[in-house]
Amino acid sequence: MPDPLLALEDVSAGYQGNQVLKGLSLAVPEGALVTIIGPNGHGKSTLLRCVSGLVRTTRGTIRLRDTPLHRLKPNEIVAAGVVHIPQGDMLFPDMTVRDNLLMGAYLPAAFANGRQRLEEIFVLLPVLAERRRQIASTLSGGERRMLAIGRGLMSVGRILLIDEPSLGLAPIAIDQIYAAIAGLKRSGRTILLVEENATRVLDLADMVYLLDNGQMVWQGAPRDLASRQELLATYLGG
Amino acid sequence: MDTFTQIVLSGLTLGAMYALSAIGLSLVWGSLNMLNMAHGALLTLGGYASFAAITQMGLPLFAGLLGAMAVGLLVGLAIYAAVVRFMLTDPAFETNIIVASFGLAIILENVILKLFGAYPFTQPFALKSGLYIGAVHMPYQNLFIIVGSAALMMATAWVITNTRMGRAIRATAQNREGAELMGVSVNLVFAQVLAIGGMLAAVSGVMLSSITTLAPTMGYDPMLKAFIIVVIAGLGNTMGALYAAFILALFEVSVQYMLGVRFGFPALLLLVIIALIWRPDGVFMKPKAQRQ
Repeated sequence: MPDPLLALEDVSAGYQGNQVLKGLSLAVPEGALVTIIGPNGHGKSTLLRCVSGLVRTTRGTIRLRDTPLHRLKPNEIVAAGVVHIPQGDMLFPDMTVRDNLLMGAYLPAAFANGRQRLEEIFVLLPVLAERRRQIASTLSGGERRMLAIGRGLMSVGRILLIDEPSLGLAPIAIDQIYAAIAGLKRSGRTILLVEENATRVLDLADMVYLLDNGQMVWQGAPRDLASRQELLATYLGG
Repeated sequence: MDTFTQIVLSGLTLGAMYALSAIGLSLVWGSLNMLNMAHGALLTLGGYASFAAITQMGLPLFAGLLGAMAVGLLVGLAIYAAVVRFMLTDPAFETNIIVASFGLAIILENVILKLFGAYPFTQPFALKSGLYIGAVHMPYQNLFIIVGSAALMMATAWVITNTRMGRAIRATAQNREGAELMGVSVNLVFAQVLAIGGMLAAVSGVMLSSITTLAPTMGYDPMLKAFIIVVIAGLGNTMGALYAAFILALFEVSVQYMLGVRFGFPALLLLVIIALIWRPDGVFMKPKAQRQ
């Protein structure tokens, strides 16, 4: 197997002495869509927050090719090529849709082509073009999610971390967001996707990790997971 | 007619002084949620830096202004490096920085007192002569202050609204973690804002002292007025602060003319209380339409 683009080795992390991740390892090959599924509250979002530096690891290593991310600050991790689209969006509520998107191209590498990239995002996500002058806090939940994804795509990162893209959305909004993610996969982007709703991602993913209580309990191809009814029943209620 | 002209010109001059006082404070408080109690001391420092450059070093007038700007910028950076960066990640930052910056203000004031003494000076950065509008004399220095304060306010608002640095400052103010995920160095943003805030305060100090006097405690009154204006306009609303400064000053001057000088400031405070009951987030802030 070639060197993965993103590799986590024996990573532990938590909040205020409460250990959430317990020595887990994971690899994301370049150009692949890898998904992490598992019950709510078992560390999926914490894992992404560790990769992007918002939560510090207490043990283990995180590498993007040869760059040790676990020693860097969040803004340095973004500069290394990691784009995190977090749960809850973390938009800038009093800024317009356009300004939120332009913040996605803040770093010099993306800023040079920011205006052109903006037009490309408006083609890919037309709802954002209609709302370009609207203040972000006045958008609907689905539109906010679209904006968070659009803002992530404004950057020139090497890997996209997407956290629970369907959380709390109406089915039609979920369909639109997954259509956008499928488009990203077709364009060759490397994606690490966290999702509670396993049925939405199994068709898209190249590799699935099942996370339970801060540990990886299973990994494999999506078709193998589909045949493991006992796993689906135990961890995903299905 | 001359009375009306006199009230308008006095109101515009006073408004420009209020606006000048508010610029740096509005920028730092509005964009970083940092109430910089050293703002008044930075105004004073700017005034004295210009005085020293022109009177003691013999530099031309505008070189004195540039010198004051450089000193303000450097002291703003020093405040970041010596104090703010160590407190940034503390959950109680917004409260702690009030106390810390008040301490800095006392230190700066005492340094000025030690270097220049308590005796008041005249600011040498002042334009001579003036013009008549009807029968009312308008000194060029007052005109310079009115135009200068409006230009500084508009330039600050433009930078914050339209530039990459301005967007990063607004983003950091609205969602610090979100800004970090865009690659923004929060430390750099704080350093930039404090440097710009220090520079603006220094310019304000030069202009204010040019029509008042230069004294170690000259920053207190402008700081109080700046505080009122920033709250009335709404935090972070730089253009709103400009409007508020001129409206409040015209109101104060009108009351002073009609009821007597001693009623001006109490009437101003009464207006502020009514305005804040009406619009607690600031008169010039748009009501927030949050979708549920």
